[in-house]
Formats: sequence, structure tokens, C-alpha cells
Amino acid sequence: MKTQKRRLALATALLITLAGIGAVAQQPLDRTKIPQVGPAPVLRVPTWTKTQLPNGALLIVSERHNLPLVSFNITFVGGSNQFEIAAKRGVAAMTTSMLSEGTKTRTGDQLSDALQLLGTNINSGIGGEDGFISFVSTTKNFDATLAILADMMLNSTFPADALERLRARTLVNLTQAKDQPVLISGQVFSRVLYGDAHPYGQRTTEASVKSITRDDVMAFQKKYFQPGRAIITIVGDVTTAKAKAAVEKGLAAWTKGGDKPAFDYPKLPELQPARIYLVDKPGAAQSVFNIGLPGPPRNTPDYFALQVLNTILGGQFQSRLNANIREQKGYSYGVNSNFAYGKGPGPFRAGGSIFSAKTDAALIEFMKELKGIVGERPITDEELKTAKDSLIQGLPQRFGSLTGISGVITSLVVLGLPDDYYQTYAKNVSAVTKEDLARVAKRYIDLNHLAIVIVGNRAEIEAPLKATGIAPITLLDIEGNAAGSAAPSSSNND
Amino acid sequence: MINRRRVLPGIVLALTMCCALQPALAQNGSADSIKIPFETYKLPNGLTVIMSVDKTIPTVAVDIWYHVGSKNEMPGRTGFAHLFEHVMFTGSGHIPYGLHDKYTEGVGGGNNGSTSNDRTNYYETIPANYLETALWLESDRMGYLLDTLDIAKLNAQRDVVKNERRQSYDNQPYGRVSEIFAAAMYPKGHPYSWPVIGSMTDLSAASEEDVKAFFRLYYAPNNATLAIVGDFDPAEAKKLVQKYFGDLPQGKAVERPSVPLGKLDASKRLVYEDRVQVPRLYLQWPTVGFKRDDNYALDVMSSILSGTRTARLTKALVYDSQLASQVFAFQNSSEDVGVFQVTVVPRPEHSLTELEAAVDQVIQKFLAEGPTPEELQKAKSGMELSFLRGLESNLGKANQLISGSMFYGNAAQFRTDYEKTLAVTAADVKRVAAMYLGRPRIVLSVVPKGKKDQASKAAESEAVSMLNRRGGKS
Repeated sequence: MKTQKRRLALATALLITLAGIGAVAQQPLDRTKIPQVGPAPVLRVPTWTKTQLPNGALLIVSERHNLPLVSFNITFVGGSNQFEIAAKRGVAAMTTSMLSEGTKTRTGDQLSDALQLLGTNINSGIGGEDGFISFVSTTKNFDATLAILADMMLNSTFPADALERLRARTLVNLTQAKDQPVLISGQVFSRVLYGDAHPYGQRTTEASVKSITRDDVMAFQKKYFQPGRAIITIVGDVTTAKAKAAVEKGLAAWTKGGDKPAFDYPKLPELQPARIYLVDKPGAAQSVFNIGLPGPPRNTPDYFALQVLNTILGGQFQSRLNANIREQKGYSYGVNSNFAYGKGPGPFRAGGSIFSAKTDAALIEFMKELKGIVGERPITDEELKTAKDSLIQGLPQRFGSLTGISGVITSLVVLGLPDDYYQTYAKNVSAVTKEDLARVAKRYIDLNHLAIVIVGNRAEIEAPLKATGIAPITLLDIEGNAAGSAAPSSSNND
Repeated sequence: MINRRRVLPGIVLALTMCCALQPALAQNGSADSIKIPFETYKLPNGLTVIMSVDKTIPTVAVDIWYHVGSKNEMPGRTGFAHLFEHVMFTGSGHIPYGLHDKYTEGVGGGNNGSTSNDRTNYYETIPANYLETALWLESDRMGYLLDTLDIAKLNAQRDVVKNERRQSYDNQPYGRVSEIFAAAMYPKGHPYSWPVIGSMTDLSAASEEDVKAFFRLYYAPNNATLAIVGDFDPAEAKKLVQKYFGDLPQGKAVERPSVPLGKLDASKRLVYEDRVQVPRLYLQWPTVGFKRDDNYALDVMSSILSGTRTARLTKALVYDSQLASQVFAFQNSSEDVGVFQVTVVPRPEHSLTELEAAVDQVIQKFLAEGPTPEELQKAKSGMELSFLRGLESNLGKANQLISGSMFYGNAAQFRTDYEKTLAVTAADVKRVAAMYLGRPRIVLSVVPKGKKDQASKAAESEAVSMLNRRGGKS
């Protein structure tokens, strides 16, 4: 049937060609033939210079002159996990927000107006293990924007009334987050895996936000924004000499101080036998899944094998998880998996949003795919090749934009990777074998200790989940605390 | 990350068109950097082709837009254009399901599609040596999609789209606002009165025959524009375009009925109960589509009203009176219609009624005095930077060139947009403010379940009676 139609189509195409649209007598096109592909383009990794500045910061410059644009970024090694205490979670974010509230010589409005006239924005943020302050400007506005960045970073005045306004906004945001099943699921997942004593299990709460004082913010600013832990990365339409001069002038007031923190994390809580942690969200149209456990840090020698493994399991559209649960079964708009790495034991997770009525069926499929990747369904040569091709040939795309280049160069320093990391990337990915994959899958996807966090409509999904027999169910509230077990349905909880 | 693919950005177009118009400098009026080198031509079958070389990195974007979106659907078959977008990824006459992904993401590239009210697009971003493969993939589904289409494929994608609807609308706090506005702003049957995602009932109703008829009408070369942007040889690429697209037959001319603008005879007040804890206030005025010149001044006005801490609504509501934790204003324009929308998130101790009064006070003052020269300049100052940053992406350039070509017959429309925005005067902004914000509007309060009394002017507000489109059990 199929073949017949195909021939027919071919004949039509031929007829039309003959009918004389093209004057050239063409061979009828055989569309079943996959086009020949030429040799892969030669990898062109951007080059950069590194200069150690007298104040302790490392300056990296990478020139690219195709557009009159410059990207400027200061990255700080260490983040909220190193510089916040549990009771004051949120002080880092509060501090970065307050950098735009006014300096010794400019009010918040004046800073904003000056940046609007320069046509740009200065952004700052602090994640778990690093932070940044950055902008992209036109070449001609680079010096003027850098001067404002320096003013914000070094001379902020942290007005008390601005703190109260930002506190109120943060509290509204935290309230709104309670309505977001995707956020709830991620937060509960982290708390279940890492507990309250590990920074990976902590988050900003209403109580911590309420406890932050202006003194906390000012102390944080002093302690954190130090050159001793800073990498200044400038990419774009600027020469190395000009960039160095601009930094020496623009950041002249930034004197020596600080160092890179140790990333000493407390011991992980003991792994628990596999369990379903169910968070009730009455009336939810979907159940949000996060399945996983603590994984290896970024410096694991198994990194390349894990990247290949995850590409096959859940890193792409045609990965096993999405091909099955979305494309074949139609239970979801998309599911995926990843290893989060980090300096510490970042999690392995698999998950996605699942149609409520298919919650149990989807869990069965998730477990089937996880069992499959750890051995029940061995990885094929075809899967291995496609995953490697995808990783290796996708590399140039990372050098497409100034901020992309800035990120990939800076991350080498932050993660302690060698300068030739991208030149040797293909070799390292190619070296991964099926045996490696079998080994790392078994080691890092520990089926007996998975935490299965599901946020959804309990009345509809609890009994079917229980009936799968996959794991016992514990009820949690949206904070991840044990919830009362007064069941809305007739099912029992253990 | 990648799996959020085939997302439906009803807003994609609005972004392409409006965000070139974010704040930016150019007071000296120099726009020498505002250029994209390109060439364009048409095949005898009506396919418009645009090429732009950029050898910065060895990749290519192949991008194709079909001039069909949700506005071309019939009532009772809403969501069809977008459902169809999904079907386009299920294989075609000579290309079995799965190969499309294999030769894009499987070789280090990517692919996706998106649907708006006005158009549907598909793209591949690939290593430069896979250009021919991408053209082979795109041309086969343009020419031979129906050869392998069956009801099973349609049903599978129907389920995925229903999940997309659950994820992006139904399970999303405030996720149904755009849908409520579309239904309230336009009369029943108006092409912009339904959401791009469609209704659950209609999605269930689409038949195999519907799909086929839709394809034959809209997915022909004469209704499409193809762009190739990146590291390639144009002479070679032209041969490849001829090879793969040259023999596809021209389709029937597509009729484009004129679509009336949104118009309210009187203001409406609506209240919708959602699974949220923080209420929100939304105001919407009918304006114009992006092809009308007033759109430029409306865009400038949105930058003057919100987006920075010194913007009028932001300064008044978030910083001075501190009634709100956030406020957004923007002109959302499509090919035929547009709306100006203001969204306010209150601080807990303040009611939506108070917020509406505060918004009105700012707007009344603005209507009376118009913008200052400095406000005007700030609103235009970011344009050059945001244009230049757009040039960093092959796909971004492709979208820019195609939208100009498709909607204006001019791939270089980006330049006209830039110049016309720079030319917007204080008098223009004052005029459009009076003309559009001075007219009847829709006020929508989204409140927690059971808290209708939290609506702005609750006693005068009508409860939104959306059909139950959650469709979970169907």
C-alpha cells in the first residue's frame, strides 16, 4: 500500500517536471535516497587570553568582531550554598536585587534612566555555587556601561525602604509559587533527597525572607563581591589591550580581597528504599513527576559516559523516555531526564507533567525505561552512535553568541577543566563504550533507592498509584513535610 | 530542556515584530548597523526563497513559514492549525517517522515548529554539512505528507496536544487568561476569538479528512516562504532548493478575507475563579494589528508605561504607592488585530479595585500630558542593541526576514520598522494613547476559588462561564 502510493507520487513529480517548469531535463528525484553528507565542518573553538590582575581577579578576553557588540561578565566562584546560612536563605538574591536601588552618587531611578539611555541592562544573580554581574552593550557604550556596573557593585547604599519593598515582592512571589505544581515538585524533590541539613535541600522560605535585615544584606555584599574569587570575561568587539585598560580604569576601586571558597558539603542523608512521595494538589489537570536520587559531582571521571547515557535515556526528543511516554503513549507533552552535577552530588532526575488519568500508567513506563537503561534493554550500536554524533557535532552551536562563548570559557575555569577541553571533547565522547554505559547506568541509577515525587490530584491518582505496587506511598504537603493522612478517597496509606 | 519542543508560542509573532522595538538609543538617527545581507527569489511554483550568508559558526538554519494559523480555522475545529503542526513531525511519503529527529537533533542540531494566529513555522538548525538533508526533510513533508498519514498518527498527536493544553493552560495558574480575553474581545465566530491551542472538544472532533483538506489548501509552495541562513554557498543552495522544491506542484490561491478589528461598544467587567492564591487584575483595550502604523507608537507607549523602574505605571504602582508587586503593559499585535494589555499583581493588603483606580489615574495623566522627550528617547534607546543581538542567531535572522516577506512582501521590513519606530513623536504617542486607551475596555479579575468578592468592583463584574474544556475524562 505504502509502496504503491510512493510510486504514484514519484510519477506525479516526474510528470510535472516534464511539463516544463524547469527547462533543464532533470533526472526524476529519488526522494527515498538519504542525501549524502559532506565532511563535518572543522571545529573552530574561539581563542582567549587570560591575565591575572593585581587585585586577584582573573581577566579572560576573547575577541570577535563580526558585530559591534561586547559581552561583559564577572563570575564569582561560590554561591548561596557557600555564603548563605539556612535561616537566612534569600539574602543573596536580595542583595543582587538591591544593587540597582541606588549608589553613593545615583538614586535607583537615575541608575535606571542612565542604563535606558545606553540601551542596555545590568543583570546580577547568585545561584547555588556561583554568581554573576553582567551586561551586553554596543561597542560604543561599553565604557559607560562598565562604569555603572562598577558603581552598582561597589557603591550601593542599600536603602532601607527598598529592602522592605523587595521583601514584600519576594513574599508575593513565594505565595504565587505555591500555585505552581512544577515548582512545588522540584522543591519537594530536593528536600526529600538532601534533607534540611544539606544546602541542596534548602530553599528560601517566608520565614527566612522575613528575617533578613539591612545589615545582613550589607554584610553579604562586602563578603561576596570580592575579586579574589572573580573571573572577568569579556567577549566581542574589543581588543585584549583595550579590554584590559577598560577594566583597570573602570574597576580601579576594586581592591584585593576574598578567595575561592571550599565546597565542603555535609554528608548526604542515608539513602532510603524506593518510595512514592505524593503531594496533593486538588483539581490538578496533570501530575508532575520527579524521580531520582543524589548523583555524582561534575568532576566525576564518569562525566562523558553519563552525558552519552542521558542523551539516550532522556536528554533529547527521541530519547527513550520521551519516545515512549509522549510519542507512543501520549501521556504527556514531554518528559526528560538529566544529571545536574555541580561541585557536590547534584541529583539525577527523570520526570515531566503527566495527564492525571495516566499517572499510574506513566509511572509504570518510567520504571520500565529506567530498568531498561540499567540492563533489561541494552543500548544498541545505533543509539550509541546517534548520541555521540549529537554531542560532538552540537559543539559549534555553543559558540554562536557572545554570551554563549562567555559562558563556555568561564565554565572551564569555574569547573577546573583544562583549556583544551573543547578540542579534546570529541575524543572523550568517542571513547565511551557500551560497557562504560552499562557500568555507569547501574552505578548511578539505583532503582532500589529512587525517590518518586508526584504532585497531583490525590483523590484521582492515589489509589491507582498504590495499585501499581511499585513503591509505598508517603503523603507530603507542598513544603515537603509529612501531611495528615486523612485520605480523600478510600485508599490506605502506609 | 529539549522536550518542551513543539511548544505553541501564540506569542512568537508578537515577539518578532515588537521586540525589535524595545528601548534603545539612536538619537543621532544613525542606523548603519541595522542591516541583514540577503537575497530573495521565487520559484515558478510560488515558493518564496530567502538566503542570507553568515559564516560565524559552521551551522545553518532552514526555516519555513506557511501563511496559515488559527485564524484560518473554522469554528468547531479550533486548535486545528496547531494540531496539524504536530502531525507534520510524524513522517511523510519518503521519510519514516523518527528520521527527522535523527538528522537534526541526532547530528547535533535541533528542530521545532510553532503556531500563532497568523502563521505556522518549522525549522531545522543543523551543522553546515547537513543543509541538503534539511531541505530533503522539509520538501518531503510539503509535498508528500498525506502519503503516509493515517488516523492512528493523528490520534497520537491529538493526545500530545491535549497534554500540551493541560500543561500550558489548564494546570497553569492564570493560564486561561488569554483564552478568556479572546472570547470576550471578539464576536462569536471572529477568527481571533478562539485560542491557538483550541478547545478539547474541537481537538477530539478533527477527522482525517479535515487534516487532508487543510493540508491541500494551505501547505502548498505558493503559501510558504523558505529561508536559509548561516554558513553555506548560495549557488549550491539554489541548486538544492530547485532539486527538492522545484517539482512540488503549486496549490490553489489562498483567499484572505479581511478581518475586522476588535471593537467594544461598552466596557466589560469579568471575574474568573482560578486555583490561585494571589488575585490579578488584567485590562485589555482593542487596538490594531502590526501592519498599521499606529502599532509603532503603541509599542513605544508600552515602554513608557512599564518595563523599567522609571516607567510610569511601574514607578507609580510598584515604587511610589507600592500597591502592586508587579505591573506589565504591552501592545500584543497580530496580522489583523491587536490589543493593549495591562497586568497588575497586587501587594496582599491592596484590593483589585484600588489597583484599577491607580492604573486609571496614571493613564488619565498620561492621556492629558503625553510623553516627555526623555521618555521618548529612553523608549527608543535599546532598539539598536536588541536588533544587533538578534543577528547573533541564524534562526532569529531567518524569522525576521520571513515575517517581513510574508506579511509585507518585503524581507527588509526590519529596516522600515526600525526607522518608523525612530520617527515616532510625542504627538503620535499622545494621539494613540487617547485614541485607544480612551475607549471601552475589558477588565478581568482573576481571583482565588470562592473569592469572587475580591474582583475589582465585584458587584458589577460578570462571572466568566467558560465551557468546561478541561476535557480530562473525554
